[in-house]
Amino acid sequence: MIELKNVHKHFGRKKVLDGISFTANKGEITCLVGVNGVGKTTILNAIMNLTPIKKGEITIDGELMRPDLYNKVAFIPDVAIMLPNMTVHEAMDFMKDYYVSWNCKRAKEITRFFRLNLTEKISELSKGNQAKVNLLMGLALDVDYILMDEPFSGIDIFTREQITDVFSSRLVEDRGVLITTHEIFDIEHLIDKVVLLDNGVIYKEFNAEEMRETEGKSVVDVMREAYNR
Amino acid sequence: MNVTFNKRDPIYLQVMQYFKRLIVSGELNLGDEMPSRRQLANQLKINPNTVQRAYSEMEEQRLIYTEPNRPSRVTEDPAVLNQLKKEWLDQAVSKFVSALDPIDIPLDDIVDLIKDKMNMRKKDD
Repeated sequence: MIELKNVHKHFGRKKVLDGISFTANKGEITCLVGVNGVGKTTILNAIMNLTPIKKGEITIDGELMRPDLYNKVAFIPDVAIMLPNMTVHEAMDFMKDYYVSWNCKRAKEITRFFRLNLTEKISELSKGNQAKVNLLMGLALDVDYILMDEPFSGIDIFTREQITDVFSSRLVEDRGVLITTHEIFDIEHLIDKVVLLDNGVIYKEFNAEEMRETEGKSVVDVMREAYNR
Repeated sequence: MNVTFNKRDPIYLQVMQYFKRLIVSGELNLGDEMPSRRQLANQLKINPNTVQRAYSEMEEQRLIYTEPNRPSRVTEDPAVLNQLKKEWLDQAVSKFVSALDPIDIPLDDIVDLIKDKMNMRKKDD
């Protein structure tokens, strides 16, 4: 379980995270939702210690985050992470040399899953295929937790479908997935937990299926309530 | 296999309803193998934990059964099937009856109309 307790973050005078607490469990897909600029990416960056937090605590499986625990987590940002001149195959070789947790068998499975052409240069791939390469780099690592930042932003509908298929596949089985998105509509049925952010605070944290069962509301219904106040 | 889910009802109930329909209609026979949980989640594009919940509930209602390390199967007990058919009929009729609430029509007329419609359908088949 990744747990955030009372996390604060300022950029200059601007409060970006103002006491954020929530958990992302193993074996579940947790979705950080909110309109642009509410601090979703900052939260992922804080977990990865790419941006140090001012106050609060971040733990993984009960232990305070420290460098050696990062081999339990893969972070997939929404920008290209590999050198553009590499081919997909070279990028995979690089990952294999660089990360002990790189799983060659799973990597191959993912290239088939996404129908990626291994000999193509990353810079020459479509935006959708570049996003798939990003996912490949993170998903092929043997880690317990996967963080994905806006995996659908600027992606065409067919690539989206392929990416959403990841969430019900073996590729994330038994792992904890934490994704940020402002486009919830076509993944409502795939996620376990929703953490709804509004201006640096959590408006609501809920299980999507429980929300449907107890209140008869879809995730989008709850979002509407949050943002139409 | 294609199901359109309603976004406001629990998905596990919709999955159960889907299988109940397959069973009462005979598209799934007693003792037939069920898809694996992961396979079904993938096909229906829903959360695997939700499928797990639907299967557990169906096991509890004895609609399906699972032996260790084997795929789940549809019940082999005809009594369970009969019970399911009864429930299906009861639900359909209740829905029909409440749809008639706003209008005042003699019961005999309704029964005649049902007979006509059912006969028409039989002819169509």
